[in-house]
Parts: sequence; C-alpha cells; structure tokens
Amino acid sequence: MDFTFTEDQLAFKEAISRFLMTEAPPEMLRDIWETEDGRSPELRRKIAEQGLMALSVPEEQGGLGMDDIAWSLLTQELGYYAIPDSMADTAYVAAGLLRALPDGTTGREDMLTRVADGSIRIAISHSINPLVADVHLADKIIVEHQGAIHLVSREQAGYERNESIDSSRRLSKISVTPTADSQIAAADTGAAIWEQTLNRGALAVAGQSLGLAQRMLDLSVDYAVQRKQFGKPIGSFQAVKHKLADVVSGIEFAKPTLYRAAYALANNDARADLYVSHAKLASCEAAWVAARHGIQVHGAMGYTWEADLQMFMKRAWALNASWGTRDFHRQRIADDILADDAQIGPRYTFGE
Amino acid sequence: MKLTFNAADERFREDIASWLQAHLVGEFEHLKFRGGPGDEHMFPEERKRWEQELAAGGWVGIGWPEACGGRGASIEQQVIFAEEYARAGAPGRIGHIGEGLAGPTIIAFGTPEQKAKYLPGILNGTEFWCQGYSEPSAGSDLANVRTRAVRDPDSGRWRITGQKIWTSLAHESQWCFVLARTEPGSVAHRGLGFFLVRMAQPEITVRPIEQLTGTSEFNEVFFDDALAEDLVGEPGDGWRIAMTLLGFERGVSTLGQQMQFQNELDEIIRIARSNGAASDPAIRQRIAEAHTGLRLMRYNALRMLSGDERSGPDSSALVYKLHWASWHRNLGALAMDVLGPEAELLDGAPYELTRLQSLFLFTRSDTIYGGTNQIQRNIIAERGLGMPKEAKGR
Ligand SMILES: Cc1cc2nc3c(=O)[nH]c(=O)nc-3n(C[C@H](O)[C@H](O)[C@H](O)COP(=O)(O)OP(=O)(O)OC[C@H]3O[C@@H](n4cnc5c(N)ncnc54)[C@H](O)[C@@H]3O)c2cc1C
Repeated sequence: MDFTFTEDQLAFKEAISRFLMTEAPPEMLRDIWETEDGRSPELRRKIAEQGLMALSVPEEQGGLGMDDIAWSLLTQELGYYAIPDSMADTAYVAAGLLRALPDGTTGREDMLTRVADGSIRIAISHSINPLVADVHLADKIIVEHQGAIHLVSREQAGYERNESIDSSRRLSKISVTPTADSQIAAADTGAAIWEQTLNRGALAVAGQSLGLAQRMLDLSVDYAVQRKQFGKPIGSFQAVKHKLADVVSGIEFAKPTLYRAAYALANNDARADLYVSHAKLASCEAAWVAARHGIQVHGAMGYTWEADLQMFMKRAWALNASWGTRDFHRQRIADDILADDAQIGPRYTFGE
Repeated sequence: MKLTFNAADERFREDIASWLQAHLVGEFEHLKFRGGPGDEHMFPEERKRWEQELAAGGWVGIGWPEACGGRGASIEQQVIFAEEYARAGAPGRIGHIGEGLAGPTIIAFGTPEQKAKYLPGILNGTEFWCQGYSEPSAGSDLANVRTRAVRDPDSGRWRITGQKIWTSLAHESQWCFVLARTEPGSVAHRGLGFFLVRMAQPEITVRPIEQLTGTSEFNEVFFDDALAEDLVGEPGDGWRIAMTLLGFERGVSTLGQQMQFQNELDEIIRIARSNGAASDPAIRQRIAEAHTGLRLMRYNALRMLSGDERSGPDSSALVYKLHWASWHRNLGALAMDVLGPEAELLDGAPYELTRLQSLFLFTRSDTIYGGTNQIQRNIIAERGLGMPKEAKGR
C-alpha cells in the first residue's frame, strides 16, 4: 500500500504548475475567452513545448508513456489554472482511447504522434454528454455510436455552437452520420474502450474539479486575510474560518479517491467503475462546497464579474454534470455494492 | 388561532384576481413572470409603467394606513394580494424599495411635511427608491459607514460626501435613502443620520457594477457634496431608523417573495416531471424537502406577522432571513441538478441566461445581501439567546 508519487511524476507536475502560473494568469484567460474561438494557439503551442501533450502517448509515438496516475496530478493543475477542455480531452482522454485501440487501427499511430507534438486537437463525442467540447477547432472527432468507434473530421460533422455558463467552454451539438467508412473499431472491441474512456473523462473532470476547488480555496483564504470588518480580518471570525476548514477537508478527502481511481484505470481493475465514481462524486462535491463557501466568504465582492472567483466557480458548476451526473455515478456505486455477488466486507476494503 | 379567510377576504381575493386578469394584458402581457430575482434589470421602463397601472388600481401600499394614502389592508388581505399577484405571474416590483422600505420608514419617523412630500410619489408609482447603506468598508459592519453629512450653517441644509456600493437599482431610482455620519469623529452606531437624497444632481455619480450574471442590477454611488433633501428624525437617530427599516425588510414584503419562490419551485417540478429527473430518488426527496421548507417559511412568516406573543420578542423574525436565504440557495442548486448536463447551456450569446440559470446564479447572493448567514446566526445567538458577543476589533 503506497499512495506516494514518483520523483518524476512530482517534478513534472511542479514544472507544469510553475509554467501555467506565469503563462495563464486570469487576466489572460479572460482575454482569450472573449475571443470568438476562445482558444489561444500560442498558449497551446507553449504547453505542448512543455511536454504536457505527450504525457501519455507511448514512447514509440514520441510520447512520455506515463499513465493515469501522472494525469491525476496534472488534471488538478489544469483545473487550478482553468485551462480549457480541449487540453485534457486531447492529451488525456483521446490519447488514452487511441492507445487502447489495436495497433494498426486507421489513424491510430499518426494521431498519437500528432497528439504528442501538439499539432492535433481531438474532440470526443460520447452519448453521456449531450454536447461536445471544442468541436469548432477540432481536427478530428471520435464518435461513439452503439459501442462502435467512429472517426470523422470537423468538416464531416455538422455542428451548432451553444454557449455555456462557463465562458471558457465552447460546446456544440453535432450531427454525424456514422458510416462503414467512418468506423475504426466495431462494437466488440469498441464497447470496452468506450467504458474506459467514460471513466477517463470522469476522472479528468474529477481532477480538474479538485484543482478548481483548491484555487477557490486559495482565493478565499487570501481574501479573508485581507478584508477587514469590525476592525479585524474577516478570517479571524470563527464562522469564516470554519467554512474554509470544511473546504480543505473536502479537498483532502477527495484526493486519495482520485488517486485510487487513477490506479484502477492504469491497471485495468475490473472494479474501475466503482472507484472512478467515488472520485467523481467526492471531487465534484469538494468543488461545489468550495464555490459555495468561497462566494460566501467574499461577500458581495464574490458576486461580481470582476472578482476572479466567478471564473473558477462557473467552471466547477459547468463540469459538475459532465461525464456523468451525480445521479449516474451514485447509481453505478449502488449497482456494484448492492449486487447479489457484491464484493463487500473487510476483505474488500482496498478491493485488491 | 384562525387559519381561514373570511367572506370579506374572499371578496378581496376576487377583486385583485379579476383586476390583474383585466390589466395584465396588452403592453404588460410580456412582463409576466419577468423582473424577479436575478431578472431585476429587465424591462425597467415597462415595469415602471406597470407600477403606475397598479397604482391607478389602488394596489400600491395597500398595507399602509389609510391616513397615509394606503388601504389599511389586514395581514390576511396582504397575504391574499401576494398570492394572487404571484399566481397571475405579475412582474417583479420595481417599486418594492419605496413601498416596502422607504415609505413605511417615512410613515414611522417622518414629519407631516415629509409624508406629504414623499408618500404620494410612491403611491402613484412614479417615484422609485434605492437603499444607500453599504460602503466599501461597511458591509456586515454597517455601523462603520464613513459617508459624511455636513450642515451648511447658512441654509441649514445637509450636504453629503462619500461612497456607497452595491446599491440596487440606483440607476432606476429618483431617490435614495442614505445612512451618513452627522457627527464628525463619531464611531459605530452613534452620530449617524438618515437622509433622503434626490439622485438627479451633478454631485452624484452612479456607476454600474457588473455581476457574475453578466448584468448590472447594483451600482457604486459617489456623493460629492450632494444636497440632501431631508433628514428623517434628528441627527444621531440614523442607526435606530436604519434598523427599524431592516425590520420592515423582514416583514410583509416577504410575502410576495414567498409566492415568487412557489412559482420557481413549480417550474422546477414541471421540468423534473418532463425530463425524467423526477424518477431519480435523490431528486424526488430534494423536491419534497424544498416543498416542506417553503411551507415552514410560509407558516413562520404568517405567525410572525400575526404577532404570536409567546414566540417571544420577534425571535420568529430573527430566524426568518437565515431560513429563506438558505432555502432559496438550495433551490437554485436543485434547479441545476434537475436540468442535469443541460444546466450549463445558455439561451444565447452573449451570456444570455435561461430563467433557471438566473435563479441559480442570483441565489448565490441570497445568503449575502440583507445580512449574511453568519451575521444572521450571530444575531440569533446574541440577541435571541442572549449569548456573549464575539470580540470585535474595536
Ligand atoms: C445582490 C446584492 C444586492 C445588494 N443590494 C444592496 C443595496 O441595495 N443597498 C445596500 O446598501 N447594500 C446592498 N447590498 C450589500 C449587502 O448588504 C452586503 O453585501 C452585505 O451586508 C455583506 O457585506 P459585504 O459584502 O461587504 O461582506 P463582508 O461584510 O465583507 O463579509 C464577508 C464575509 O465575512 C463574514 N463576516 C463578516 N463579519 C463577520 C462576523 N462578525 N462574524 C462572522 N462572519 C463575519 C460575512 O458573513 C461574509 O461571509 C447588496 C448585496 C448583494 C449581493
């Protein structure tokens, strides 16, 4: 039993964190989000230079060959800096899906190479999400259709943009007619890959939610220290302190569920669904509580457009129901533990 | 105890219901269900005309004493008015600060001249008010207001200098009631005055503040030697008057709000039934809880207004804001969960929120304005339970 990370994993996370701190400050994100496309090719290029896009691409395709465990740290950084969807979607979720395809599948090696060098954006359309993120700039869209995997270009997919409450999101409804030509894997191989992809998508959201929660907490602690009422910092009032203490409890308790789930995914654990749902629920709840207490601590200031808090709150709210609502994930847990042959009891505490 | 309405009340209900049916048409038709919480910036001009329509029908200030131009309506009738108003989907009241706060304060503390000067404009729906309490350094610590009022020795008139913030509807109002320091060097609750100030003067600047909804319902208001039209009460009475006013805020004016809440809950239930969310057991239970919470609120409000002696010196009033604010905040979250993954989708660009998104975002502020939840709990514990005060910095 060892919940620690390797030196390599931690060093990489540190480097990315320092990089994003200077390269993606809130003022800059606001400017980018105001543009029609909402994306900065410049920022994406720089992030690719840092090696983030290559993280889980196999070494044969020019990647670093790391797995879900490394991503469980990095998705938190993406969340902390509110980096838009297409980064995690392409570099983590899509790369994971491509890697799982049998060698030689149409486009597999080529796309993985391009993910690693940062020259491709891939959007993923799964029926659990009514809309697809970042179709408007996607070079390729991987589409789920009755368990089969289809690959289309943006030109082949009709799409209609729909704004989100979170200004960083660029969502579209797409209409794709799957054909024999667009299919790259039939349902017999595809279904299992899609299951894993759903889990990976949910885990990407869980990691980002925790990062967002941490950012909201940091902003709130800063504010509580600076803002004075009744002649003292509001952070000196117990009512305020206790709220933020609750936020940090939520975050810290959610983290190991995220790591546990990442480990399960990386090792093809048969109960990965269960662990991923734990992580998704705990992380989204932590972000939800961080937003609720964060705005409360900020008072009316937190209700303004100007205060950065809103950027992170809205992103957390928007991600909350993507890759499975709370209902969906609770249901999966219930299905597992209430089954006739459920693996419950002391022996299964760690599910090994 | 008597929990039914009498025949006269029922006739009153028919009156208001049929009046609304006859008048909420034509140019007002599209205002139905608009202008409520989170939507208060919408259709200001049309909603002002609607106030005049209401006024012409004699429906503004119905709870005010007859001597002041009201109808002296009983609590029962005010309840009925609020119910029917909401049932008809009549628009959010842009005149609520005048009718519910400024008016009753002037009635309670104003001189006969002040009543004659200010009440008619409120009653005929032509003059609108905003509340100038909060300042950058006086939020929860309202007694820390720094805005100064200085009396001109020659004219005897007061001039105001300072900054207010978060002033709702300042940009739509002719008048503002302003809490300002009359006694230089005074601190906390002492040395404050309650002023009535005309907004249209070059010495006042109103700057909108953008809210996280992307719209602006509140403002910064700068006073640079602005003329105060009147002082209510004496210099030094400001705090007492300001606090009495906050009592009005918790009173009858909340009846309409509850009916608005009922409309919102009904809408959420309608959606849950149509999109399948109502078959999720967790959602079902939360809807049942929301329904129960609203009932608690309603019964407590009615008990509070009927002045149940044994509930003690307004302890029912002390707990009221905390309850409704928390309830409404949860309702906003319920709305989002009922919508599921669609919840984040806007109506259109740029940043056009759906009705339930407005509700969700607006309800993030319910536990902040009008006294935060933390301040409410402090008041309940200190004033209601007589517990020792937490140490303050000054
Ligand atoms: C939508 C909206 C409309 C508004 N409209 C108006 C208006 O029309 N007119 C007007 O005058 N004002 C208005 N306000 C302002 C409102 O009254 C203030 O926001 C409120 O009083 C809180 O003050 P603050 O925002 O400065 O928060 P702060 O007082 O800075 O509070 C920040 C945090 O510290 C906590 N805190 C502060 N003191 C204590 C304590 N002693 N113990 C424990 N916790 C404490 C608070 O609970 C809060 O969580 C409006 C606000 C909003 C959000």
